Amino acid sequence: MITVKQISHHFELGKKGQKTILPVLNDITFQVDKGEIVSIVGKSGSGKSTLLNLISGFIRPTKGEIRIKEEVVTDFSEAKFADFRLNHIGFIFQSFQLIPSMTAYQNIELPLILKGENETNRKQIVDRLLDKVGLVDFKDHYPSELSGGQQQRVSIARALVLEPALILADEPTGSLDSETETEVLEIIKTLNKELGITFLIITHDEEVARIGHRTITIKDGSLMEGGVVQ
Amino acid sequence: MKLKDQYRFIRQNIKKNRARTFMTILATAMGCAFLIVLASVGYGLQQSIVKETMEQQIVTQIDVYGKEKGNNYEALTMEDIEQLEKVENVKAVTRKNQLRQMPTYTIDNYIAGTMAVSTYFPSEVKAGLELSEGRLPENPNEVVVGYQFANELKLDTEENVYDEETGEVKEEFRYSGNLVGKTITMTVQKDMESDEIREIPLTVVGILEEPTKEWMSDLNVYISQDVFEQVEAYTGTPGGEIGIDPDTLESNQVESFDEVQVYAENLEAVQGIVDELGDNNYATYSVVSEMKEINTLFTIAKAGLILVGTIALIIASIGIYNTMTMAVTERAPDIGIMKAIGANPKTIKKIFLLESSYIGIIGAIIGTIVAYLTSMLVNIGLPLILEMAFNDEMPEGLKFSAIPWSLVVIAVGICLVVTILSGMRPAKRATQIDVLKAMRREI
Repeated sequence: MITVKQISHHFELGKKGQKTILPVLNDITFQVDKGEIVSIVGKSGSGKSTLLNLISGFIRPTKGEIRIKEEVVTDFSEAKFADFRLNHIGFIFQSFQLIPSMTAYQNIELPLILKGENETNRKQIVDRLLDKVGLVDFKDHYPSELSGGQQQRVSIARALVLEPALILADEPTGSLDSETETEVLEIIKTLNKELGITFLIITHDEEVARIGHRTITIKDGSLMEGGVVQ
Repeated sequence: MKLKDQYRFIRQNIKKNRARTFMTILATAMGCAFLIVLASVGYGLQQSIVKETMEQQIVTQIDVYGKEKGNNYEALTMEDIEQLEKVENVKAVTRKNQLRQMPTYTIDNYIAGTMAVSTYFPSEVKAGLELSEGRLPENPNEVVVGYQFANELKLDTEENVYDEETGEVKEEFRYSGNLVGKTITMTVQKDMESDEIREIPLTVVGILEEPTKEWMSDLNVYISQDVFEQVEAYTGTPGGEIGIDPDTLESNQVESFDEVQVYAENLEAVQGIVDELGDNNYATYSVVSEMKEINTLFTIAKAGLILVGTIALIIASIGIYNTMTMAVTERAPDIGIMKAIGANPKTIKKIFLLESSYIGIIGAIIGTIVAYLTSMLVNIGLPLILEMAFNDEMPEGLKFSAIPWSLVVIAVGICLVVTILSGMRPAKRATQIDVLKAMRREI
């Protein structure tokens, strides 16, 4: 599903002429197979979020190649990557990233609108997902009127709405209490089991990492020796 | 993303900042209204002047003044008339010769002094001449008279027969009988020095139609070519002119016409005929040529006015640019989320361009309505104000402002172009928003 090959990345800090190079990732290579849940763990500042952003296409690597579904996404233009994300990748963010002026229903519906789906289909799909994540009664609520757990469920429903083959989750339970965390992890496991969706989860929480079939540990921008744990 | 959904997005976004959007729409509407009203003055005055000119003249009529020969213009002869009649799309060529002295006409105890004109009636009839009464002359001593000729016949008395206010002959001194079938006596002078006169009896067989224009009056007596020639023979001068010595005149003078008019089959044919006559060295004047000049002048004026009006819209566009820039900044986190989940930069750009166009369209609609109302008020109010200020009556039907559909289309088009252009840069900025920064609320 995902092949990360010798990826390196650095940030350039400071003004022109006085730039400082800050290396973040160094020669990372790993693979995620279809239907796997892979957790990427590491301490704060280890570069795990940068790695996820590189796979998402939000930033471009300084070196190396990333393939998703056999396509070299690192060669994609911004527009092509946007279309690719819409059609193949779902996202779950730590801070949910819901649009505050839209209701739960509208937030879930958004990817369908972007894809140009007609209103009848949209309603059918969104209602089914609302039911799946247990938010039917909250569909007209705005994010500010929902709890953290409910917001994350809206976010999961939005990630699922176009039935992607891959979901990238960045600290999906980072803003949740332990009870809600368990709930969200259960949903992830169920989705993986029932729909065969591949998950790549970034976390610093060992509890969360344990739901993965494999764990990849990153330390100071590099894969730890023997970092891939079955 | 479907257009309908984009439109829904825009409505949602606009709702969030109603006051700001309203003010921007208002500025656009004012700019658009200003443009339309300003240009409408050009359109209104053009319409009034064209209407006035058209009303004063027959639009298919072309006056032919003479033919250029060397550096001079020569009067038209029968040979020219024949040539003019051969021109394509010419319906009729009328020719008149006016007696170059003013004869007097008497009937019973009434007298009038008006011009005598010799004309060729078959051509006049073809050109549209109509009688209000009687028939056309068939014999040399038969004449038709102008519609107002009878009003000129006044009682031959020492009393003051004219009304001091109107300058017309008082009712009681006017000839009140029907002239058709009556004989009037035309008296012409031989020369200035002697009192020698000749009286020619003429039978009135018809009265011409009343001139279509209120301010026009036709007092002429239309005599035959035969009578005209009799007078010429009597005075020994061309046109019966008195005050010149017949002996000094050249003997080889060719018969020519004072007034020649060409009538086109229709309005569209006029310009073609004018051009052809011009090519053949004829000096012409037609209302269509005049219209062409008027229209050229007004087209330049209108373009200038539209340009000035566009400046108002450009000023309004600064407001749109500001509003759209604010909107992009405010919505940066939302744009970031949308881009993250897969919104194409083109879609983002389209949404913002559509939003600025929406402001432009609503502004243009309101502006057009305001412009129509203003134009109506100007047309009603301005003549009243001017009449009060200058104590002078404005011409009837004078329009200061007119808004044709073409002007509305031009104004709305300019408005849309300006608003879309002003939304371009903010829209482009929206597509360049960094997803990570936007999601971290760093923009």
